Amino acid sequence: MAAEQSRLSATHVLEYPYRRSVGPIMGRFLTGLRDRRISGVRTGDGSIVVPPLEYDPATGAPVTEFVDVGPLGVVTTWAWVTTPRAKHPLTQPFAWALIKLDGADTGLLHAVDAGSADTMKTGMRVKPRWRDERVGDIRDIVCFEPEGS
Amino acid sequence: MGEHCAIVGVGQTKHDTLRVDVSMPGLIREAVTKAFDDAGVSWGDIDAVVLGKAPDMFEGTMMPELFLADALGAVGKPMLRVHTAGSVGGSTAIVAASLIQAGIHKRVLTVAYEKQSESNAMWALTVRIPFQQAIVAGAGGYFAPLIRAYMARTNAPDDTGIRVALKDRLNALKNPTSHLTFPDVSYEMVRDSPMLWDPIRYLETCPSSDGACAMVLAAEDAAKTSPNPPAWVHATAMRSEPTMFPGRDQVNPQAGRDCAAALYKTAGIKNPRKELDCAEIYVPFSWFEPMWMENLGFAPAGEGWKMTQEGATALDGDLPVNASGGVLSSNPIGASGMIRFAESALQVRGLAGEHQVPGAKKALGHAYGGGSQFFAMWVVGSEQP
Repeated sequence: MAAEQSRLSATHVLEYPYRRSVGPIMGRFLTGLRDRRISGVRTGDGSIVVPPLEYDPATGAPVTEFVDVGPLGVVTTWAWVTTPRAKHPLTQPFAWALIKLDGADTGLLHAVDAGSADTMKTGMRVKPRWRDERVGDIRDIVCFEPEGS
Repeated sequence: MGEHCAIVGVGQTKHDTLRVDVSMPGLIREAVTKAFDDAGVSWGDIDAVVLGKAPDMFEGTMMPELFLADALGAVGKPMLRVHTAGSVGGSTAIVAASLIQAGIHKRVLTVAYEKQSESNAMWALTVRIPFQQAIVAGAGGYFAPLIRAYMARTNAPDDTGIRVALKDRLNALKNPTSHLTFPDVSYEMVRDSPMLWDPIRYLETCPSSDGACAMVLAAEDAAKTSPNPPAWVHATAMRSEPTMFPGRDQVNPQAGRDCAAALYKTAGIKNPRKELDCAEIYVPFSWFEPMWMENLGFAPAGEGWKMTQEGATALDGDLPVNASGGVLSSNPIGASGMIRFAESALQVRGLAGEHQVPGAKKALGHAYGGGSQFFAMWVVGSEQP
């Protein structure tokens, strides 16, 4: 008997759906995207956190104040994807970037469609490209693109 | 035990099938806020956080304690996560109590939750052979044969389970946090409900709930300044055994008997039925009430069913069991054990509201999990030990 035949193995696919109740804070962020609005929250030290958190990361207090930010922002760091994979948001090469939206103090992770790595720069200004039919999902922003494009 | 530990704050969510109005962090915070209000404390007063929940697969969020740190006010503080299957709510409370008893912390927040609407616990428990031992379509499929074995062993009347369910469902009507409430529940309604896993009928089984339970535990000095009467921890115990081994008594597991014996010894209890005023027992399927009455030493082997049939476990019986309505009425799995512990504390604090057992001074909180293999218990009292 060949060695590989003597090894015990079996396949088993276990799958069932998960759902998420997003609650009032993340819910407002996602609903805002439907209306091309990007909402953050103000935390106790005055910072604007985007995407929002329900509880102040420093004190644990519930956040109460929403602040709209962007829609333009600045790239603070990025990594170029030369060969996009099937589930990536774009089929052509793009950058994953942290984008600090105008008025925000934290970075939002999203894709930037810049054409080539040569045009990507830390500090470059970008704007969102919105999906035509928006449903309240982070993919309502297809990607960001250079401000002048 | 070094320091004494008191329960000074208890909070529960309104348990329900689908709490779509809150996120996982929001659900937990609802319970924590109520516990803080009861204890008269805020985040700054808490030294450490101990979180419990059942398998991560139940929501599909791996190690949720990581992302819950800010919602739990745990940033910059020690945080522990406990997991012992269905008994986790109980073992979580015991771990939290041990941090007080060891003299490490003054006030500890302990919280347990499950948001069952986020997935499907039954199918999460139904992994096929050879990847897991066969448990046949969720917990009900696993436990029904054990109930049949109990019935065969004791010749208990067939309707014992119906009577447990009726009693717990009537009690649930007096508890504002209850998930399932049937205002017109009757013996016939339970009897005529569909058979799910013979002999367990639909109304003899627990629901799938979204819910959380939180407690603020405090050392002696901190307890004495709390606004509401404390409950004092008199004893805690935990025991475990494997799911299956030759000769295992799954109906009356040794780990449960040993756990109860150790608990009573520490608490100085010689006759539990006489010395305890009420008990909150983990009964996810009706027949587990008589089974655990024997395992816990409230009844001799083979006679637990008599306590149910005679009404001893009813709210006006000599040992009210699950005055809250029990797991049959609310089952956010990870929290279900902690709810038993918290409800026992509410009883001896005199704060159980409409389902208060009059004059309760000493109570048992009990949780079990896995294939009847993890046990966690505590005895709490109105008097400092």
